[in-house]
Amino acid sequence: MRMLRAVFAHPSGRIGGVIVALYLLLAVLGLLGLTPHNPLMQYRIDRLHAPDSTYWMGTDLFGRDVASRLMMGIGQSFTVAFFSVAFAALAGTVLGLAAAWFGRRWDGVLMRLMDVLLAFPAILLALLIVAVAGPGTRTSIVAIAIVYTPIFTRVVRGPALSLKAREFVDAARTFGSSSSYILTRHLLLNLVAPLTVQITLALAWALLTEAGLSFLGLGTQPPAASLGLMLSDSRNLMETAPWLMIFPGVAIMISILGFNLLGDALRDIFDPRMRRAIA
Amino acid sequence: MVQHLTRKLLSGMALPGIALAAMLGIAAVPVQASAATLHMAWSQDATGLDPHKQTAFSSLRLLELIYEPLVRVDASLQIVPAIATSWQFSPDGKELTFKLDPKAKFQNGATVTSADVKASFERILDEKTGAAARANFLSIASIDTPDPATVVFHLSQPDVPILTAMSDVNAAIVPASEIAAGSVGTKAIGSGPFKLDKWDPNAKEVLSANKDWAGGATGVDGIEISVLPDETAILAAMRTKQIDFALLNDPLVATLVPKEASLQLNRVPVLAYHVLQLNPSRKPMTELKVRQAISCAIDRQEVLDTASLGEGKVTGPLTIPSLATDPSQLFCYKRDVEKAKQLMSEAGYADGFSATVIGATGEPPTAAAEAQVIQSQLAEIGVKLDIKMMELNVYVDAWLKGDFDMAIALNGGRADPYTMYNRYWTKAGNLQKVANYIDDTLDSQMQQGRAETDPAKRKAIFADFEKHLAEVSPWIWLYTSYSYTAQQKNVSGFVPTPTGTLFSLSKVTIQ
Amino acid sequence: MTYLLRRLAVFPLVLIGVSIVVFVAIRMVPGDAITAMLGTEAGLLTPAQREALAAYFGIDQPWFVQYGRWLAGLLHGNLGISSTYGKPVLDVILERFPLTLELALLSMIIALVVGVPAGVFAATHNEKFSDLGVRVAAMIGQSTPNFVLALLIIYTLSAGFGVLPAMGEFSPLWQDPLRNLGQLILPAITLGFAFAASVTRVSRSAMLDVLSDDYVRTARSKGVSARGVIWRHALPNALIPVVTLSGIEFGYLLGGAVIVEQIYALPGLGRLVLDAILQRDYALVQGCVLFIAFNFMIVNLLVDLTYVALDPRIRLGEQ
Repeated sequence: MRMLRAVFAHPSGRIGGVIVALYLLLAVLGLLGLTPHNPLMQYRIDRLHAPDSTYWMGTDLFGRDVASRLMMGIGQSFTVAFFSVAFAALAGTVLGLAAAWFGRRWDGVLMRLMDVLLAFPAILLALLIVAVAGPGTRTSIVAIAIVYTPIFTRVVRGPALSLKAREFVDAARTFGSSSSYILTRHLLLNLVAPLTVQITLALAWALLTEAGLSFLGLGTQPPAASLGLMLSDSRNLMETAPWLMIFPGVAIMISILGFNLLGDALRDIFDPRMRRAIA
Repeated sequence: MVQHLTRKLLSGMALPGIALAAMLGIAAVPVQASAATLHMAWSQDATGLDPHKQTAFSSLRLLELIYEPLVRVDASLQIVPAIATSWQFSPDGKELTFKLDPKAKFQNGATVTSADVKASFERILDEKTGAAARANFLSIASIDTPDPATVVFHLSQPDVPILTAMSDVNAAIVPASEIAAGSVGTKAIGSGPFKLDKWDPNAKEVLSANKDWAGGATGVDGIEISVLPDETAILAAMRTKQIDFALLNDPLVATLVPKEASLQLNRVPVLAYHVLQLNPSRKPMTELKVRQAISCAIDRQEVLDTASLGEGKVTGPLTIPSLATDPSQLFCYKRDVEKAKQLMSEAGYADGFSATVIGATGEPPTAAAEAQVIQSQLAEIGVKLDIKMMELNVYVDAWLKGDFDMAIALNGGRADPYTMYNRYWTKAGNLQKVANYIDDTLDSQMQQGRAETDPAKRKAIFADFEKHLAEVSPWIWLYTSYSYTAQQKNVSGFVPTPTGTLFSLSKVTIQ
Repeated sequence: MTYLLRRLAVFPLVLIGVSIVVFVAIRMVPGDAITAMLGTEAGLLTPAQREALAAYFGIDQPWFVQYGRWLAGLLHGNLGISSTYGKPVLDVILERFPLTLELALLSMIIALVVGVPAGVFAATHNEKFSDLGVRVAAMIGQSTPNFVLALLIIYTLSAGFGVLPAMGEFSPLWQDPLRNLGQLILPAITLGFAFAASVTRVSRSAMLDVLSDDYVRTARSKGVSARGVIWRHALPNALIPVVTLSGIEFGYLLGGAVIVEQIYALPGLGRLVLDAILQRDYALVQGCVLFIAFNFMIVNLLVDLTYVALDPRIRLGEQ
C-alpha cells in the first residue's frame, strides 16, 4: 500500500502506473475473452475493412476484429514477456551474483558458459527448442528466457564486481557481517537500479523477440494473436491495410513507454542513495 | 484511402527526395550497365546446379535457361521439340524413337549426340546419382543409339506419360564427358540459351547469351539474377527501376504490382494445387464418411478468397486444363454443412473430434491463412483443429513420414496426370506412405491411363479417376493459384506458362 | 597480463564446447541436407539412392564419427566444405564477414554518437520537459521492430521519393566506398535506431545514479564546475553499464542481423547462418557458429578490459 502511494507520488510513476494498469486490465479482459467481438470470429463479408464504428480498429485478412485481437494479443504478449523476463532475470541475477561473489574459477566457468549461450545464433537456439518442444506459448517463453539469461548475468556481474570493490562492502566485512547479510543487504539493494532498468529494457526486447519468433513461424501459433504476430502478419499488407500495422505497433510502443516510466519511478524509490538524497 | 493520401503527401516531397538521394550517394535512376542485360530478381535462390538432382522451384527455373531436355511443353502444355526435332512411338507403345537436332551444341562446343542422351538417362537411372525423377523412367529397359542423331528407348511396358516426363529439366541432356569426369553438379554445361558465368549462392547469378544456341539468337545479351529475400523489397526495387523482371510468390505482394503505372503483372494459372491432405490411416479419417464430411464442410472458394485474395481457381484433383472436370460436377464442391453434419453423425462422430493440421511457414506464403480459414469452417461441424506451423525442413520430414493428422500443402503439378499422381495413387507409388490411401479402382484407372495412347479414351479414364478421387476424399483439393512475374513495361516477349518455366526469357527484349 | 593469457587459454575449451553443442543440436532438428535439396521429392528416392546422397553429403556415419572427422580437419585448419557453396567454409565466412563487421561498427557509432549525449542531456535535465522528450524518443526507438522500420524506410524512399540504394549486388568498401556506404547507411540506421535508444536509456539512468553518488557531490562541493563534474567525473563511471550494453549488442551484431540483411538483401553473416540452417549445410552452420562464438569472446574480453580502464578499483581475477 505504501509502495503504491510512493509510485503515485512520483511524476513518471503516475503515468507509467496508469499505462501498465490499463494494459493489465486489457490483457485480463483479452485472456478472459471479454472483447468487443470474438477475436477468432471471421466476419467474411468484412475482410480488410477499414476502421469504423463497428470495427474500431478495422478487420484483418480474415475479417476478424482487430481491436478484439489486439486485446487478446496484449494478453498473450504480456504472458510471454512477463514469464520469460521473470525467468531470465531470476536465473541471471543468481548466476551473476555467484560469478562476482565467488570469483576465480566460478566466475570463469559461469561466464564462459554464458558466452557459449550468447554466442549461439538465436535462431538456431529457437529452432532447436521448438524442434524438441513443439511451437507454442510455453516454447516461446523458454526460448526467450534462455536467450536473455546471459545478458542479465553480465549486467548483474559488472556492477556487482564494482560494488564488491567499494569500501562499504569492505567495511561491512571488517565489522564482521556474515557474507549472506552483505549479499542481500548491500549488493542486492545496489543492484536494484541496474536491474529495474534492465528488466524494463528486457520486457521491451521480449515483446519484440516474440515478434521475431512469430516472423519465423516459431512463436504464437495461429489463430491466437500476439502483438508480434499481428505485426509480422501485417508486413505484406502494409500498403493495402495500414491499420493492421499501426495499431499493434502503437500498442507495443505505449506498453513499452509504460514499463519504462514505471521502471524509472521504481528505481528512484528503491535506490537507497536517492532516498538519502531526498532526505 | 489512407494509402492514397500518404502517396500524395509523399510525392509532394519529391524534390527533397532528390537532394536526399544525392546526400546518400544513391543514384535516383540507376544507369544500366548494358542496355541489353535483363536485371532480374527472385526471393529464393537455386539450391544447386545438377539438373538431375535439383527439384526446388527456383533451381528448375534457373536450370531451364542453361540445360535442355529432349522435348519441351509449350504454354498450352503441348509437347514441342527441344534437342529432339521429332519423336515416334512404335505401334505397340514399347519403343520410343527420337531424332536429334544436328545444330544442338553444348556450351563447350561439342555437338549433342545420341551417346550424350544415353549417358544422361543412364545417369538418372543409376541409384548412386540420387535423381528423384528416376521413378518416372523405370519402364526404360534399354537405350539404343543406331547413329549419332538417333536414340531409341526400349520400354518394358507401354508408357505414354514418359514423353511428358522427358520434357522436364530433371531429364536434361548433359555431356557424356562431364558425366565421366564427375563434374555435372559443379560446372553447368548445357545446350540451352544461356551460359552460367557466375553463381554466388543466395546472392546472385550472372548468365550470358549462348551464341551457338540451336534455337537462334536470344533477345538479351545476358541476365543478372539478384536474390532479394523480401518480396516487398523486390517491389521497391522495381519501383525505382533497378529490376526489370521479377518472380513473385506472395499474392499479397503481387496484387500491388498493377497499381504501379510503369509495371506490368503477368499471371497464369499453374498446375500446382493447394490441398488439405487428410491422413486416412489415422482415426477418425479412416472413416470414408468423416473424410466426406470434411470435404462437404469446406468452402473452397472462401479459402481462396481469403488466403489468396481470390487469386486463383477452385480445382479438383486434375489441374491440367485439357483434362480437368468442371469442379461443380465433383462430390460436395458446393458447401453443404447439413450434409456434412449428417455424415459425421452417421460415422458416429456427431460431437466432432480434435485433430492437428501442420503447415510450413511461408511455403507457400498462404499456408497459415488457409489453415485458419479451414479451421474456422470445420469448427462448424465440431472438428477442432489445432494449427502447427513449422520450418520447411521440419515439415517435409514429418510429411514424408506421414506423421500428421492433416497437412496444408502446395503440391507440384505435371503436364501428365500419371506422372503427377502415380507417386500417390498407385499401389506401388513411392509416396503411398504419405497418401496413406489406395483402392483397386484408383490403381487400375492409373494403369489404364498409363497405357492408353488414344487421347479421347485417356481423357475419359482420367475423368473417372478424378471423380472417384474426389468422392473417396483422401485429400481435399482446394484451388490452383497463379504464378506471378512482374516486369517493367519496356520488357516484351515474355510468355508465362502453367509449368512456371521462364524459358521464354530467351526471346525477351528490352526497348 | 597473466589475466589476459588465462582468458585466452580458455578460448579453445569454450569453442570445443560450442562445437559439440552445435554438432549435436543441428542434427537433432528434423530434416537433413537431402530433404533440404529435394523437398518432398525426396520421398521418390529408393533406399540405395538415399544412401548414395547421404554419403555425398557426409552424413552417412553416426554423429560422433562425423565429429571426429570434423575435429581432425579442424586441427589442420580446415573447417570443412560447404555443401551449398562447394567452397571451404572459412572462405565463405570470410567473404561475408567484412560486411557484417562494417555494419556492426556503423550501427554502434550511430548508437553511441546519438545515445550517450542524449542520455547525459536527459539526466542533467531530470524530470523536465526536455527529459521527457528524449525518453519518449528513446521509447519509440526501442519499441519499433527493425523489420517494421526497414519496410517503412524502403517503402517511403521507393514509393515516395523514387530512390533506393542499389539492391542485389553488394560492393565491398575497398572497391567502391561511396556505393558501399550508400548500401549500408540505411541498414545501419535501422539497426542503430533501437541500439541508440537502449544506449540513451542506460546512459541516462547510469548518469543519474552517478550524479547522486557521494564522490560526485564531494567534487561539486570542492568547487569543480558542473560541466567538469559531468564530463570528467561522472561520465567515466556512468559509462560502465553503457560499455556492457554496447559490448553485448555489438557482439550480437557481429553474429549478423538476420531480418535486416534479409530485407535489404545484404550478404552478411546473419543470412549466411539462416540459409545454412534452412539448407541443412551442417559444415557451414558449424563453422559460422564457431566463428561467431570466437568473435563474441574477443568482444567480451575487450569489454572486461574496458571495465578495468574505467574503474581502476576492479582488479580483474586478482583477489
